[in-house]
Amino acid sequence: MNIIEELAQIARTRPETLKKRKENGTKIIGYTGRFIPEELILASGATPYLICRGGEPEPPDAVLPYMLRFMSPFVRAQIGYYLLGMDPVIPILDATVVQCSDCQMARLADLFEYFQLPTARIGIPPDWKKTISADYYYRGLARLRDTLEDLTGNKISDGNLRESIDRVNKVRDLLKKINLLRKEQQPPIGGYDFIRLNHYSFYCDVDEVVEKFSNVYKQLKKGGRLFPEEAPRILLAGHVVSVGDYVVPKLVESSGAVIVAEVLDEGMRQYLRSVKTEGDLMRNLAETYYLERVPPSIFQPAWEERMTFMKELIAGFDVDGVIWYQLSFDEVYDMESSVVSKVMDDMSIPLLKLESSYEYAREATGPLATRVETFIKSIERKRT
Amino acid sequence: MAKKDVHERFLSLAGFEEDEMQEALSDWRRASHRLGLNEEDVEFATEEWIPAHYDVKLEGVRKAIGSYVKETIDLAKASEYKERGVKIVYGILPAILHYYYALKLTAPDKVYVSFPDIVLTHVLNGFFRKLNPYLEEAEKTGIAYGCRHCALNKTRYAAHKLGVIPSPSVSWIWGFVCDEGPKTDEFIQLYHNPEWKTYVTRIPHDQPLGTIEYEVIERVEYLASQMRDGFEYVQRVIGVSVPDEKIKEVMSIWHRYATKVTELNRLMAYDPQPLSGIAASLVKAPLSIPFNTGIESMEGALDILIREVKQRVANKEGILPRGAPKLMISFFPTALPWICKMFEQNGVGILFGEGTMPSKKQLEPPTFDDAYLAAAEAWLRRSAAVNTGAKAQIVAEKLRTYGMDGMIFGFFDFDRWIGSDHRLLSRMVEEETKLPVFYIEGDVWEDRDYSQEALRTRIETIAEIAKMRKV
Repeated sequence: MNIIEELAQIARTRPETLKKRKENGTKIIGYTGRFIPEELILASGATPYLICRGGEPEPPDAVLPYMLRFMSPFVRAQIGYYLLGMDPVIPILDATVVQCSDCQMARLADLFEYFQLPTARIGIPPDWKKTISADYYYRGLARLRDTLEDLTGNKISDGNLRESIDRVNKVRDLLKKINLLRKEQQPPIGGYDFIRLNHYSFYCDVDEVVEKFSNVYKQLKKGGRLFPEEAPRILLAGHVVSVGDYVVPKLVESSGAVIVAEVLDEGMRQYLRSVKTEGDLMRNLAETYYLERVPPSIFQPAWEERMTFMKELIAGFDVDGVIWYQLSFDEVYDMESSVVSKVMDDMSIPLLKLESSYEYAREATGPLATRVETFIKSIERKRT
Repeated sequence: MAKKDVHERFLSLAGFEEDEMQEALSDWRRASHRLGLNEEDVEFATEEWIPAHYDVKLEGVRKAIGSYVKETIDLAKASEYKERGVKIVYGILPAILHYYYALKLTAPDKVYVSFPDIVLTHVLNGFFRKLNPYLEEAEKTGIAYGCRHCALNKTRYAAHKLGVIPSPSVSWIWGFVCDEGPKTDEFIQLYHNPEWKTYVTRIPHDQPLGTIEYEVIERVEYLASQMRDGFEYVQRVIGVSVPDEKIKEVMSIWHRYATKVTELNRLMAYDPQPLSGIAASLVKAPLSIPFNTGIESMEGALDILIREVKQRVANKEGILPRGAPKLMISFFPTALPWICKMFEQNGVGILFGEGTMPSKKQLEPPTFDDAYLAAAEAWLRRSAAVNTGAKAQIVAEKLRTYGMDGMIFGFFDFDRWIGSDHRLLSRMVEEETKLPVFYIEGDVWEDRDYSQEALRTRIETIAEIAKMRKV
């Protein structure tokens, strides 16, 4: 689809755009994860930049002199590209806001600080059902608001914040509508493109995204069926498909299946819930980002709720099989995979667990392709 | 006179007196059976492993081993306690012990407290080299081998799955350092036993490098609130009400014990080194693990050991030649005594585990009167609890205080918090102290992936460098 390729082109040239903006006095704010509201950054007049790259083996390895090697390659990659001189944006960031939700992300913040990159941390207590934890996150957001105001010299007024919430909500709404098209028997869009849409939405200006996504939605509504009616319908679950890490979704869909739903904690917009624009806007942000969304794996308790959500997706999107995509040494997701396996077993839903260290050389991709193809064939056989 | 059977010989080695032997013997037989130890295992421990690695000539060392054995016997009775209506409260490392001990002080017969995984790991691998069946059971049934999960978490899960320990009335799980510890309890509950009740207490790692965390009042207060909430929940669940005075009483007992440990540490720093680090590490356990049997037994062993080591110092008697390099290690490999021994065989002493050694600040009285604020402040004075920048300063202070010749980080490759900054810490501490700082990838609890032969060359090389730098 041409619009997606247009978005891809805009995203590719984002570093140049950001550099020019910085030269013109706009502050560029990097952030990680899913708990840093880009609405706040936008309302301060700064430009947000999500740090979420992956899919290559060299950047995670570049971190090994400073970090344990049994850490997730995703986390290692976020500073690894910078250490290799392969990241044009991180050196120009005016600040990087790191969500300290788990050990791995907190260690990433350590390295940002160690390399003297301007860093701000936001603590995300994983014991999220407690009032004191929610208050803690709220106070973190309030501090972030102050930091952004100091950095940009702009006061974040309620009016600005409401406007930015409203704009980002439009992106969420469009993604929600596009996502629902995948309920159709022959989805007009698969997971590979849908994940890319999510990614591009972070690397294009919000208004541009809204315009392009509206057109994408219109085109998809018109028809144009990319996948055969009998294509096995897959739920892709796990931690993250990062920007550039497209081997697995592409492989799944080139093997004859279609990804109709995702449960991914990062790299995706959490588009199911919009932020309310009435009342105390800071509280609204805190509630939506921390309390209302499907909890990430690190939250506790989380897995039972996540399994319920997966079951809803399986029923709602008529899912035939689940692919659990995890990164090496992502210890919490590895434990969760056993729970998922048990639940899928009880539901008689086939599950394939894939693990990646971003090694996608031909020697590694061959066996991976065989596993994916075999899994999809087995679902096809089961159906017939 | 009939030859003593292997269990009796084992208990004699572990410092049991004749008058306590009879009762202990039948208890120990049952306990060892429950833990999966056979007579060959006990024979191996008695005749080979323990004498080869622990200085059993010293009564204090034998009694310290005996204290562990008493705790293990007690642990094996936890299911019976539960049947009798005793409330079972678990925790994991690292946690603030005051609350667990305060429960015991308040209701000694109504509550059983334990960190079962660490007790089992110390005893099964430290004395018998037989933790593997637990690890393999966990790996076969949900906690995969390939992801480098923590042996303690595997042991906790497997011990329950194998029927060694009962499900708790509440497992008060602390996620003050790692994520995997608390999530393991969620795993056990969802994957194996819904009766495994958990309460989780956490604090985010969001302090910038170098922050002195106990000075950040908001952090101290947040931590205190978390502890208060957690402890109130535990008390509600088990129906025991603990007055704040009990927490303060425990803090004073802890302080007394820590002061004695510091005295032993000072003696250890004499030249020649009077006692193996592995022997000394035994008596430090009550500072990080709650003993349901109480600390009296271990404190008695500590008193004896201090007396014995003082005598050695007076006699200028050492386990290594005078002038041998002395290193500190991040956490003492108590479950793998061969690591310390291998260093000693190469002429280098490993004296202290940094993580459990009280810093100067830890020994100061609290600045808060409130029991929870004081406990939170105490926690944030520990190196293991704080950011890497502050931790590097604490490590450097301890190296200087005890006149160490270098530092070893590592042996924590399974821990995405405590082990994940060791490479960075190595750089920071070396820069600060100019002492040689080493990093060894390994595992402090089990050695299936890092055997003696695999690490021998590494340890020999480090020992040579330490000796050269000392010259």
